[in-house]
Amino acid sequence: MDTLLIAMFEILSFGAIVVLVVLGLGIIASMMGIFNFAQGEFVLLGAYVTYLVHSVGLPVPLGMLAAPVAVGALGFVLEKLVVRRFYLAPIVAMLGTYALGLIIREAVRGLTGGLYVSVPEPISGSITIGSLHFATWRGVIVIITLLVIAASHALLAYTSFGLRVRASLENPQLARASGISTGMIYSLTFAFGAALAGLAGALIVPVFSLFADLGIRFLIQGFVAVMVGGVGSFAGPVAGASVIGTFSAWLPWLMSPVIADVLVFVLAIIFIKFRPQGLVSGRGVNR
Amino acid sequence: MSSTGTGIQPPPRVIEAARSPLMASAFAGRTKVLPILELALLIAASIAPLVLRDYITVYATRVLILCLFALSFDLVWGYAGILSLGQSLFFGMAGYGVALLSRDFGVGSIFAVLPAGTLIGFVAALLLAGFLLLGRHPSSVVFVSLGTMTGAYAADRLARGSHYLGGQNGIPSIQPMTIGSHELSEGPGFYYLVLAILVLIYLLSRFLLRSQFGLALAGLRENEQRIAFLGYKVQHLKAIIFAISGAIAGTAGSLYAFHEGFVWTNMLGVVMSTQVVLYVLFGGSGTLIGAVIGTAIVEGLSFWLSDNYRDIWPIILGVLLLLVILFRPLGLISLVLGERERVGHFGPSLKEKRNAAP
Repeated sequence: MDTLLIAMFEILSFGAIVVLVVLGLGIIASMMGIFNFAQGEFVLLGAYVTYLVHSVGLPVPLGMLAAPVAVGALGFVLEKLVVRRFYLAPIVAMLGTYALGLIIREAVRGLTGGLYVSVPEPISGSITIGSLHFATWRGVIVIITLLVIAASHALLAYTSFGLRVRASLENPQLARASGISTGMIYSLTFAFGAALAGLAGALIVPVFSLFADLGIRFLIQGFVAVMVGGVGSFAGPVAGASVIGTFSAWLPWLMSPVIADVLVFVLAIIFIKFRPQGLVSGRGVNR
Repeated sequence: MSSTGTGIQPPPRVIEAARSPLMASAFAGRTKVLPILELALLIAASIAPLVLRDYITVYATRVLILCLFALSFDLVWGYAGILSLGQSLFFGMAGYGVALLSRDFGVGSIFAVLPAGTLIGFVAALLLAGFLLLGRHPSSVVFVSLGTMTGAYAADRLARGSHYLGGQNGIPSIQPMTIGSHELSEGPGFYYLVLAILVLIYLLSRFLLRSQFGLALAGLRENEQRIAFLGYKVQHLKAIIFAISGAIAGTAGSLYAFHEGFVWTNMLGVVMSTQVVLYVLFGGSGTLIGAVIGTAIVEGLSFWLSDNYRDIWPIILGVLLLLVILFRPLGLISLVLGERERVGHFGPSLKEKRNAAP
């Protein structure tokens, strides 16, 4: 019973991490139709900013606040300079963002000297309930993830900014004719997706430690999750990420981690093959 | 997300224009850059070992093998519009396959290992294509790229975790490849062997792509639906070219394994897949020579720069790639090759057609 509870907490906290990473990717893919191959590197960059703030002696939570802002700002600039040239050609966008990711990854590799760097948890220790111990920081990640999902959904579903985003997605011409600056909306959406990735990177760096290839693993996982969930809606990527995250954390309890890791991806690809529209078909943001 | 309108490819009317007799005769009158370019490169490649120092010849051999690998990616992406982000899967599987043949069975004869590697690549690609491309639902480009990428990632992970395959370290010290009783080691001999294979496969691909089959491929790259309406089995065409490209990648992989003398997990995984995408986009996808030139330039620059600028070289490579994608979507080859010649002509040669016409 105790092991079961511990296992469930592990699965929940890992699932939360995957959801957090995928949310930004899903928003960019669903709202803009761009599969952002640099998303993994935005996660990496968020982790790096946190490390940087920590290494100059400032408190880690400050770094975690700075990371989404810095990565979001970078996302905004990159969208203005590069990504917006790709909207008419989604496949070229994959290659272009891939090049962006390569640049960021190699830059971070150069800056960290190709080493594994660790960042301490801002809230360490564990919570004890009865005879069980739960790592506090993982619990905090779960709570923050839930808050971020709720806030993102509220932003897209209930604010006037969200209305503009949805309008630009639904019918760009009509949106422009109604006086919405779709170009600005796209920039902000991309920046928002990037900021979420930055936040994810900042929160998970104490758990995974920082290394240059941190992003690649999450990139493939993220893409698989978005496709499993279904592109086009808000709920899709979240659902897909929960499923992938749960399986990724649960299967290693049953078999060797290497086999489990591969099996999750293979099962997901088979699922997508036979249900291309994903778990949640349909478009837009449900209120 | 459809496979059409990728932006890198020329619009369909260019192909039609090249086929219409009027344009064709105008086209035939112009000086052709492509054959001159191909011939010049061949001559340069043939005399290279005579003037280069030995260690550079060894490096050049590796570049030629990678050119072969780049050709395989160009066939699927440049001609059929299938974005295979896991091309290294076939390269690496063939490499590991021949390495095992050599380690466990002592087989090193070129007449056994090259066909074996090619077959491994072919079968693996055929199986993957059967799953990813065939079926009731037509597959989106994103799905295929994701599926191939996952394949490469999975193979990399499994090889890393497998004790039998040597784990992280791969399989070291493969015995040299033999022709009869002659042992083939690094150097001019190996170089010319690879060059001959490259030229052979290049010519075969060129012939294949300029046939009716190539025309159908180019058509489906431009507009998949239209080709389907004309009665072609689009998914079968894609699966065939995918399997052929897998076979070529397999040949390259087995050559690479014997040339380097060892195989390791990077050959299978995302690292190698990335490399090949870089080569082809750099040189210019959709032209065979573009893939070769791209490989030569990227590897040449890397050889020259990585001594002094080892740390920032990958960053420079990323920046260059981004610039090429943004400003030269047709690759560096488009600097010297006109649009019309890049697309070329298909089917029986134009001369016969002109003579046949009244």
